[in-house]
Amino acid sequence: MAIDSASRPPLVLPGFEHIRRSWNSTHNVFAARLLPGEYYVTLRDEAVYTTLGSCISACIRDRVTGVGGMNHFMLPASADADGWKSTSLSAATRYGNFAMEHLINVILKNGGKRQNLEVKIFGGGRILANMTDVGQRNIEFVHDYIKTEGLRVVAEDVGSIHPRMVVYFPTTGEVKVKRLRSLHNNTIAEQEKKYISIIETKPVGGEIELF
Amino acid sequence: METDIVELVKDVGGLVTLPDVFIRINRLVEDPNSTVGDIAKAVSQDPSFTVRLLRVANSPLYGLSSTVDTVSKAVSIIGTSQIRNLALSTSVASAFEGLPNDLVSMENFWRHSLYCALAARILAKLARKCDVEAVFTAGLLHDIGELVIFNRLSAQAQEVLLLVLDNVDELPVYEAEWQIMGFDHAQVGGELARQWHLPPLLEECIAYHHDVPSARRYPRETAVVHIANILALMAEVDSLDPADVPPIDPLAWEVTDLDEELIESVVREVHAEIVEAENLFLGKA
Repeated sequence: MAIDSASRPPLVLPGFEHIRRSWNSTHNVFAARLLPGEYYVTLRDEAVYTTLGSCISACIRDRVTGVGGMNHFMLPASADADGWKSTSLSAATRYGNFAMEHLINVILKNGGKRQNLEVKIFGGGRILANMTDVGQRNIEFVHDYIKTEGLRVVAEDVGSIHPRMVVYFPTTGEVKVKRLRSLHNNTIAEQEKKYISIIETKPVGGEIELF
Repeated sequence: METDIVELVKDVGGLVTLPDVFIRINRLVEDPNSTVGDIAKAVSQDPSFTVRLLRVANSPLYGLSSTVDTVSKAVSIIGTSQIRNLALSTSVASAFEGLPNDLVSMENFWRHSLYCALAARILAKLARKCDVEAVFTAGLLHDIGELVIFNRLSAQAQEVLLLVLDNVDELPVYEAEWQIMGFDHAQVGGELARQWHLPPLLEECIAYHHDVPSARRYPRETAVVHIANILALMAEVDSLDPADVPPIDPLAWEVTDLDEELIESVVREVHAEIVEAENLFLGKA
């Protein structure tokens, strides 16, 4: 019985076929693994997880229908960061807006209602001592965004010096956050750096879907 | 596999060497004909170690009632074999500067090691019949095999860390190392201790800190370092919840006659000691 349910992951929503999912024996569910820049929405009983350094993950769900998901993003460097990249703050926040709007749009498309949305936010740690505090900038962005959009934050764990692993169960809204040991700081920072260099060289597309 | 590990460690031979002062003291401690005076003289030949030794001897960590102002006083109060441990503890971090890596900051690495050393010292005192200072040194050295792997096998080491991060379930680093490399950092550290001719107690604690049942000669000390390592992880991620860290082998509690209930107090104590200890053991002399 368990083997049978383990062999077949729940139906995936269109657009998320590329997200890697695997059986998780601790929680007895399939779990989708997000890398920086990715997001995932589901209607089913499954988990979404990711590891965060200075990046942010917003976990958003409709508390009535249970449709929900997670994103994983950060803002590219702005002029005030190191000087060598001069993405303006407004251009930088477009990436954040993108990540938030994509997630919310897909939830709404799948039966979520704006007034039922509950948000949990995680990440924005300062895991490398010698870097400018990009985590703080990401936290400020997501706080601003949520305020402007009039969304409801029901839980958050942001800032501090620890990387985190976040496991989210959209159907129940439950979240497990584990602080990771500093042994993983550089590996996580490296993944985030790779993602940043991709978004910095790729201009933001013009078509933000409005809803 | 055994030969792989031996070769791997031989490879780093020239890059990381034990300080002369430790080698001299080690020789004298092993020599039944040497005197306290001989050891004090060996200490005095290294001004930087002399400064560290006196700082440690006078620190609240040691809690000695009288002021220790001379090397000979330090040697007679602290004891010759403890001086040997201190010579190793105060120099090991700088010894490994020749073995850099991009995977982990040395500061973070040694802070974890020091958390483990402090926890091991507290546990050893509670467990009794344990060489407290030797166990402190063992705690400080328990992960040195990682530094060899990070430096010599960095691509595989990176794979190991990615595999750990990829798992929602707690996958201990040493198990990921087994999966990717077929051996783990404890074995590599044990081999390094062996090639360095470190005392057998240190070698065993390092080699078996993830494999308590295999410790034959020093099961109590090895079990103490095993528990201390997990408590060090709790201190590091600032948690008092055992669910946040890998499990402690029940055998370790049994062998040491210690009780799980002391976890919280030990973690709190190492938090209180870490800053002072970082200055003493990892700071500039």
